[in-house]
Amino acid sequence: MSNILGVSAGYHDAAAALVIGGHVVAAMQEERFSRVKNDASIPRKAAQACLKLGGLSPQDLDLVVYYEDPFLKLERILLSLMRNFPRSWKQFPYAVMSQVGSKLWILDQLAAALQVPRERITTTEHHRSHAASAFFPSHFEEAAVLTLDGVGEAMTTGIWYGQGNRLDCLASIHYPHSLGLLYAGLTAYLGFEVNEGEYKVMGLAAFGTPRFKEEFGKLIKLAADGSFELDLHYFAFHTDADIGFNSKLERLLGPRRAPGKSWDLLHSEEDRRYADIASSLQWITEEAMLGLAREAFRLTHSKNLCLAGGVALNCVAIARLLAESEFLAMFVQPAAGDAGGALGAAVLGSIERDGRRPVPLNTVALGETISTDAAWDLAKHLELPYRECDDVFAATAQLIAAGKIVAFARGRFEWGPRALGQRSILALPGAPGMRDRLNRVVKKREPFRPFAPAVLAEEADRWFSGCAPELARFMMATAKVRPERMSQLGAVTHVDGTARVQTVTVESSPDLYRVLQAVNRLTGTPIVLNTSMNASGEPIVGSEVDALSFFKNHSVDALVVGNLVLERRR
Amino acid sequence: MAMQRLIQTLSNSRIRTLLTLFRHFAQGKKAFLLPFVLLALLCGVLLLLTTGLSYVAPFVYAVF
Repeated sequence: MSNILGVSAGYHDAAAALVIGGHVVAAMQEERFSRVKNDASIPRKAAQACLKLGGLSPQDLDLVVYYEDPFLKLERILLSLMRNFPRSWKQFPYAVMSQVGSKLWILDQLAAALQVPRERITTTEHHRSHAASAFFPSHFEEAAVLTLDGVGEAMTTGIWYGQGNRLDCLASIHYPHSLGLLYAGLTAYLGFEVNEGEYKVMGLAAFGTPRFKEEFGKLIKLAADGSFELDLHYFAFHTDADIGFNSKLERLLGPRRAPGKSWDLLHSEEDRRYADIASSLQWITEEAMLGLAREAFRLTHSKNLCLAGGVALNCVAIARLLAESEFLAMFVQPAAGDAGGALGAAVLGSIERDGRRPVPLNTVALGETISTDAAWDLAKHLELPYRECDDVFAATAQLIAAGKIVAFARGRFEWGPRALGQRSILALPGAPGMRDRLNRVVKKREPFRPFAPAVLAEEADRWFSGCAPELARFMMATAKVRPERMSQLGAVTHVDGTARVQTVTVESSPDLYRVLQAVNRLTGTPIVLNTSMNASGEPIVGSEVDALSFFKNHSVDALVVGNLVLERRR
Repeated sequence: MAMQRLIQTLSNSRIRTLLTLFRHFAQGKKAFLLPFVLLALLCGVLLLLTTGLSYVAPFVYAVF
């Protein structure tokens, strides 16, 4: 029985995951501890928290597996600099400083930071980590696997086949041809922050029509075998250090949007054009993913598909794959981005040592737990108005039913970017005004951003169509709101009539399940609006200190933390 | 300060990393990259010594 720690770090979303004897014991992102959004630094605190939950010291670790190969990455960078010379001269000092000054020594830095002997630190490959994180924790005995992201070492896209303990790469696409880099470049063009604004682009897309199909057909050529090529004349990520696209893209699509400018989709013709560009980007991304999925089916003849890599977090595209590809069941690893590489690396190390596939992932509550006692001490110290409840679920439901916005923090925090009932903001799903209030006052973000519904799993079909259990459990795909229910779900129905549904079971999120039961008894609707407990630019709440700080600094009406209920005095 | 960073870079287990790095690039068709690896290392050392550039995260997806 081996103790394996997987680590991702260095680029974005640093994380640690601990697998003991084939069981995924803990998995956490460093940002929850450092409070730096998308923190890429060595996940020292996340690793310590994983070890604490596993009852281990660093010396008990048999292996620490880093999620990618730094030398293969250096190889790709050098080749890219050479191929694009002299245009790449601007990248050279940044690339060299980044590599020689830091990234090249990542394994030594890990040994020092985690206090683990250097010989116990190994590496795997970036897309193999992604593929492993998607397939091995799934419920499928065999499945096709798609990995899609910006870039790992050199691979940007992979088609794999997983069966039992095996995972084989069947086809791949390499840098610079990348769906992730296409999406990132256009995210920057639309004035959003790369690695953070991609969700916004996806939400914005629903407000537009894909009238720039011809232009996007010039940016990326899709082949019949699922492969694709970017036309690099429009991009600059391979030559420039601070921008992903160039002036030719602006000549094709019009001038870029200024970052930080407020949106007015009702009155601004210009903003509607940007929405159409987002819609066209979403369309071409879906087309590319569909082509890859069809090729994956042709190569594997499997009925199951697993996905990981940052592009797999595109829940609209995932819903389309489910509807239009040959696959009957799909699983997207909840932390599909680079954080998830830590899980994949740990699982690969565990299989190598023990020959045993991990137990399927039934919950994402893999983080640190919240302490009622600590919250009680802190609330008392800060003189906050708290009360302790015998039935905290009924109390939460009463607040929600009364139209309050409730921050709900109980149990272990979630793995991945979705709040699934452990660190959530909950509210009634009915009135569109609730969405506007949350966007404007609490979350402080763009007015077009949608909110998701959480529904009792057994009631989901009465309210939504196209909910796939494996996907909806972790809120990984959109579903259609049934037309006759739309008037009851105004705050969680997006402009295109869809919603990113979370189906809640006792197993996946027991506390939220009980809240939903109580809300159903009070209102007759087994659904709440569920959004993450953070505001724009902040990591989701982790500890009780974060939860109380969130309550103090943001305009929610109440906070439930552990067994305490705090209500804001008006 | 810069000299200290250089010494730290070359110390202890980092020698092991350097050896692994050279072994990686000495294999088969990658050998032609070895001079460029050495050039990159040299430039990196010079940049560290002169603190000529503080690394900032690029605006676009971190490709390096």
